Parts: sequence; C-alpha cells; structure tokens
Amino acid sequence: MRYDSITDAIGNTPLLRIAPAVHGLRNIDLYAKLELLNPFGSVKDRAAWNMTRPDLAEAAERGSQIVELSSGNTAKALALIAGLHGLGFKSVTNRMRVPEIKELLLLLGAQIEELPGQTECLDPTNADDPLTQFHRMLSEPGSDYLHTDQYYNERNADAHATGTGPEIVRDLGGRAPDWFIACIGTAGSSSGVARVLRAHNPDVEVVGLVAQKSDFIPGIRNIDEIQEVGLFDPLVYRTIDAVTSDEAIDGMLALVRRSGVLSGPTGGAAYFGALRYLRPVDAQLTQRRTAVFIVCDRIESYLSYIRKRRPELFGGKAERNTVATLSDEEVGAATTIDIETAQQWIAQENPLIVDLRSPFAYAALHIEGSVNIVDELFEELVRGGLPFSKRRPVLLACPVGEKSVKYAAVLTRLGHPDVRSLSGGIVAWRDAGAELVRE
Amino acid sequence: MGHPLYLQPRQESQLAALTEANGFLHMLADGLGTPLNVLLPEQIAENLDRFRAAYQKHHLGGEIFFAHKASRSSALVRQLAATGGCIDVASVEELQHALSCGFAPARISTTGPKDPAFLWLGARAGVTFHVDGRAELEALAALVRTYDLPRVRVLLRLSGFSSTGVRTLLRRSRFGTSFVSVGVLLDTVECVADVVELIGVGYHLDTVSVAEKAVALEGCINVMDECRSRGMRPQVIDIGGGFGVSYLAEAEQWDTYVTELTSAVLGARSPLTWRGHGYGLRSESGKAAGSLGLYPAYRKVAGAEYLDELLGTPAPSLGRPLATLLLENLYDLYTEPGRALADQCGLTLAKVLEVRRAADGDEWFVRLDMNAADCSLEDHGVLMDPLILPSGDQCSSLSEDSSAEPVGVYLFGNLCLESDLITKRLVFLPRLPAPGDLVCFVNTAGYCMDFSAHQAQQRPEARKVAVWQDRDGSWRWSLDERYWPITSSGILWEGAAV
Repeated sequence: MRYDSITDAIGNTPLLRIAPAVHGLRNIDLYAKLELLNPFGSVKDRAAWNMTRPDLAEAAERGSQIVELSSGNTAKALALIAGLHGLGFKSVTNRMRVPEIKELLLLLGAQIEELPGQTECLDPTNADDPLTQFHRMLSEPGSDYLHTDQYYNERNADAHATGTGPEIVRDLGGRAPDWFIACIGTAGSSSGVARVLRAHNPDVEVVGLVAQKSDFIPGIRNIDEIQEVGLFDPLVYRTIDAVTSDEAIDGMLALVRRSGVLSGPTGGAAYFGALRYLRPVDAQLTQRRTAVFIVCDRIESYLSYIRKRRPELFGGKAERNTVATLSDEEVGAATTIDIETAQQWIAQENPLIVDLRSPFAYAALHIEGSVNIVDELFEELVRGGLPFSKRRPVLLACPVGEKSVKYAAVLTRLGHPDVRSLSGGIVAWRDAGAELVRE
Repeated sequence: MGHPLYLQPRQESQLAALTEANGFLHMLADGLGTPLNVLLPEQIAENLDRFRAAYQKHHLGGEIFFAHKASRSSALVRQLAATGGCIDVASVEELQHALSCGFAPARISTTGPKDPAFLWLGARAGVTFHVDGRAELEALAALVRTYDLPRVRVLLRLSGFSSTGVRTLLRRSRFGTSFVSVGVLLDTVECVADVVELIGVGYHLDTVSVAEKAVALEGCINVMDECRSRGMRPQVIDIGGGFGVSYLAEAEQWDTYVTELTSAVLGARSPLTWRGHGYGLRSESGKAAGSLGLYPAYRKVAGAEYLDELLGTPAPSLGRPLATLLLENLYDLYTEPGRALADQCGLTLAKVLEVRRAADGDEWFVRLDMNAADCSLEDHGVLMDPLILPSGDQCSSLSEDSSAEPVGVYLFGNLCLESDLITKRLVFLPRLPAPGDLVCFVNTAGYCMDFSAHQAQQRPEARKVAVWQDRDGSWRWSLDERYWPITSSGILWEGAAV
C-alpha cells in the first residue's frame, strides 16, 4: 500500500481471534484489536492525530508548541506529529515512571517537564497544586501553546467513535460484540468505541479496567484518578474492575508467548481482565458469543518495568569471572594491604594502581599515578580474561575497600600472582593523611 | 451511617504496650488533667539506630541531626543527647534548650531564620551554621570579627536546582541560595575564610519525591566539586529531612478512605466531613478537581527505609547510585529527620466530656477536654483514628458488651469557637464512647503534639510526661522537664543506696 503521509497509516488495525487453546473459553470467541500496530506504536495515535489535525496549519503558522499532560503513548504520538509539522512538543507529567519511555521521548525531540511531588510538611492553604501551575503556564502572556487536553477533549473519544468502533463492527461482519473490555486511561477509547457498539447492540456490556490502587500499570488510572478525567462517564461501564501489575504481566506473557502478539503490560491487563470477567460467564453459556479487548501498545518500552517486578523472567545466565560467582573463601583469601604498607609498596615496587571509582570522583581527587577504570567497566573487562600483564603487581582501590577486595579475588582466580586490595579504600587513605591529588 | 471507614494507627511494640496500659493512662490523666502528652523517650534511640543502620549499609560516614522543631519535649532531646545523636535547632531558644539537655556544641547545627542573639550564642558556643545566603554569611563573619569569636563552621543551604534532559520542576522555596548564583556565594566564602570554615553544602526540599531529591543531591555534588577546584576542602553534604512517617497500619484502609472521600466530594455518597469539607478536593461539573491536601498517611517506605531508597537511587546525570557518588567522592552525609525520628515516640490523651446525638443526622457529637491546637493532626493533614480507653468502672462491662456497634462521630474541642473541631472528618469508632473515657491519639510526638499548641481563651497548654517500663514491666513516669536519661535506668537511686 502506498501512502503520502505516515498519518494515513493510522487506524484500520487487525482484529485477531485469540486461539481457544490459549484462553480456554468454550463458548466465547475472544478477539484482540491490535492497536499496537498503529504506526507510532499505540492506540493513542488515533486520538493524537484527531485532536491535532484541525489546528496544525494554524499552529505551524504561529509557531506554537504542542503541549499535553502525558506519561507515555500520547506524548510519543504527539512528538512525532509535531516533528512531522515542524512544531515543538512539550510533555508535562508526574506519572512518567518508565525510564525507557522518557529516553525515547527525548530521542524523538520532546521536551519533558516533571511536576513536583507532594509536600512533606503540609500547608493546607497552599493553592499551588501542580495542575494549577500547569494551567497558569498555558495562559502566561507571550506563550503560544496548542494544548490537546486529552482528558477532556471530545475529539479523543471521537477518534474511536469514527475509527476503532466501526472497524470492530465491520470486522465482525456488521455485528457488535457481546462484551467489550478496555483499560481506562483517558477513557477516550472505551467511551468512543462503546458509543458505536451500543448503536448496533444496546445490550453490549462494557468492562472497564483500572489499576489496583498503590500499584502502577502504564497508561491506566486507578479508581480515584478516573474521577478527574473529563471524558470518564461511569454509565458507560457495566463494571469497573482493578488489575494488579503482576496480573497485567501474566496477561502480557500469554499474548506474547502463546499468541505472537508483542503486547505491552496494558494490553496484558486487558487480556487478563477480560478472561477473569468472562470465565464464569462462559461456564453458563449455551450459545456462541463474542468479546473484544484492546491491545493498546508494544512490549519493547517496558523492559525495565517488567524486570523490576519479575526479574526471574530475564533468567540470568551464569557468568564466569564475575563478582557474583565468587565464594566467601575466595574473597577471604584475597590479599589486602593497609595504607602504610601500601605507601611503601608503591614506592618500592611501583604497582599498577587501579582506582575503581567513577571518573567524576577520580577527577576530583585520586592517588597520584593511578589509572581510573570504573567498576562497571572493570567488571566487563575481566569477564573476558586478565586485562593486565602478570609481571606487574596491581593495587586495586575503591571507596572503602569492599569492592576492590572482590575484584582482587577475581584477578587472583584469573591467575594474577600479585594483586592487592587497598584496605579501607580511598576513604582510609584520606583519613590516614596520605596524599590525594587533583590534576 | 453506612460501612465504617476505619483508619487504624500503626503502633510498634512500645506504643502498643502503652496503649494497652489502660489503668496507668487513666491514672495519669486523672492526676494531671487532660489534654496530656505522654512521651516514650526510649523509642527515639531505637529510631536513631535505624537511620544509623542505613548509613552503615551504604558505608557512609556522617551524622544524623534531630530537627528539634518537631517536638518541644525535654525528655526526647535529653535521651537523644545520651545516644550520640546530633540535633538541629531553629531558634535561640531551641539552641539554649539543646545545650542545656547535654548536647556539646560540636553536635549542634542551626537552620532557619537567625537573629543576632542566635548568631552570637551559636558562634560563641561553636555550633555549625546552615547559612541561608550571602547576607547571612557576611553578618555572621562580621559578628565573629567584631566580638573576636572562634572561627565558625558553616554549611551553605542551596535551592533552585536545575536538571538537564528531563526537566524536574521543583517547588519554589523561601530558603537557600539559588544554585545558579552559587559562584557569588563562594566568592564571599573566600573573602571571609579567616573567620568562617566551609565544611559543606546542603539542601532541604519539602517534597516526598525521591526524583527531586536526587536532582538536588547531584547538584550539591557538583557544587562541592566547584569548591574543591577553588582549593577548599569541604567534606559534608547535608540532605535535610523529609523522610516521612507511615501513620496507618493498613494500606487498604487508606486507599478505601480516599476513594470514598472522593465520592463524598462528588456527592455520590453520604458526607464524610463536617459541612462537606473536601480536604482540597472539590466538585467541578461532576468531576473531581483540586488536589488532595493530606499527608500520605500510609507510606510503604518511610523513615530510614526512605533514606535507604534515596541513597540507592541513581544520580540523574552522573548515573551512579547517590550513595556511591557520596562515598567515592569521600563526602560525609548529614541528615535532619524530625518527624521520622519522633515516630512512635508519644501520644496525646483527652477526656470525653459529653456525648450527644446530632439533631439532624445519625452521627454523634463527642466533646473532648482539649482543643484542635492541642493535637494538630488536622493542620498537618494527618488522618488517623484515635483509640478509646474506657474509664475504669465501665472497663469490664464494655469488653463483654458484644452488642456495641460502630458509630460515626464528630470530635469537638473545648473552645467557644464554631471551627474548633479536632478533625473535620467523621471519625468511625467501633463503639460509642462515654463521658469519662479517654480518647487517645497515638503517634503525635512529631509536630502534632505541641507544634501549634496555644493558650486561646486561657485554656492551659497540655502537660507532658515521659514514661517507661521498669525491669518487671510495670510503667513509671516523670514530668517531662524532670526526666533525665538516668531517671529511667534507676541508676540514680541504686547508686544512692550503696
């Protein structure tokens, strides 16, 4: 297919039937609306494009900056749309908790501002809450912002009422599904799609999913936070259930490992929430029914999020020659040297002195004549083998002698005959009054 | 009334043992009157040990300064003096108090706005000064020269840190010298070097966010490097306080309460507050607007654990964990916990004077022998249920009374003032209290007990007592001002007997 603009590729995403062997429902056909296949990678492409489209020409003329309160996918889509039209984009957020997303946005040319956290000493009269600050910024004299306002902008929900919803009906042969399951972030997709489905079948049950309070799932709000969303209308939903991050990851794994869908945790939450709701219903059914859920974005941006919660998923191959593989005996057998003896040894034998601290700390003060190899790099280096000649003695130094003794043990294991760890480290060196230089 | 929404307080072992001692607390309240503040001085030593353990875990040197302003209690300050902890004072009166409680000047630092008397006494004694800016530094130097005082140690208080990449917006502060004009401040430090010794820099940010503190700490590390390049040898980074306390026992109660409060503000359930107060939330065309002005009463990570988390956080641009950066740059860490060191250190008692049913609702009004300022939980946004300690004559009958039903009550104070409510929220209690019962607000030692206490309408301020358990477990007490760390050990008396 040929396109003139990448935005023409937004929408018309596939509706994928999940294999019954994967979900285990006997009477319900479960479909995933693959919004992750939008060109910018998420369901938000539709809303971002629909919200900006009418104003882009004027904004480009005036040189406005697009601004939005977004922690992820909307920001990503808006950043790309802004770039496409020669505009700047600024995302203001207090919810951006996934480091890869931040880095990606910076890479795309977005400006990110994080709102301050809650005060520790409460001032009950404080009128300076972060959102008030944000709105004040929007109306500052001389500023020119195109605020897309995704939580209140009807064009957000309209994008789904004219796109996502009709596509689902079309792909189901002109019928609405019996159930529609969606996570609630801005409520744009769930309310927009629901509007269309209800027009075809007033009995459609819409299941809204929110994040468990005190837990965090990217792109979904919790039960209190949805009360602040302008597009949120409780009457849209038959029920609103909470999902934990652990459940979202379980759902994501089923989609990724068994259905070939590279879903992120939010799509996983929708899949998990859908099955939890549908299983007891399925058991009572005698006729075939249909359910649809949305897979809203892709897995790649959430690796650190998943690693933090489920480190075991990343395995952890046994590495040779690393600190982690040392036994207590090996560490105990490593040679340490106190400050006074070290000074004499340096004078007589001229060992190679390796300072394992960061370059910043090394640059500020270090032992004269030492070389700086920061511990992270040193770990990489010794993984491949001994990085020094065996004929030259080595003195390893770190802040307090805790890391250096372990690396001394690694080098000893690698066959170095004379490696010593500076006991008490650079701190002890300083406390003993020995010289540190800044070059 | 609907389903009761409890916010049960978190009580560690000492505090829990004390609130079990019903007879003892009634005896104190009968003898000394209410409101009455009861302190557990031994707890503060335990809290200090937890902070020390966080330092040790990261191999960091440095000191922990109790922010004196969190409590006026002599017992707490004297007990802390006995442990080797340090103290941070914010007025000449607090400085005098710290000195009189046994703190050597080397273990005292001063923060906040300072008048000449405060500067003189501090410099004369030889305490460390947190200097707010150039003007204060010059005033201090002039005073030292004029009165020929010893050279003073100072820390520079910085603010307005900036970050690169992701811009972290920081709340504006009235204190400290902006990070961008630190060069001028360091010029001044060089000019007064004969009378002032720069030992380091610091910040105090009023936020619960670890990310903002990481930006500030990294900013301090950069300023320290600037100092070193000027030939100074500062060694200390002071990261202030704000480590927090978790007041509630259960996350779920807090989560449920906030959800219900939001519904109540939107009119979707029966009111939970006096005259529809929203604690910062309001309803705008059916949507919740504003922001919840409450202390996060349940915190998964608080106190020493919060410090541990902060120290393990990577610096935003240098990348290494903050503790590693401090350590490998050979810096000592100073912290100034107030609330977190006073956690679990005391409670506030008030006698129930009157219980009556609201004429226009099914709640109850309970009038207490205290006013809102005697237990300023509300000022600090802390929502936490009090305990009810039944008076002696009802004690047995109540525990057998299984028919007792949960009630919603408003707690009124003793002032002739419409707004004198101990808390503006409807408090759910497992049973209706009776006149003569004690209402017990636990965990009030940090800020809530005496920070705002006043003598409006000539009501006396609450008395304070220190309590401890002796070896056989029985409770002992002393007036706060008569408590010394040797009082509780009994050594004073045993020594006299020999």
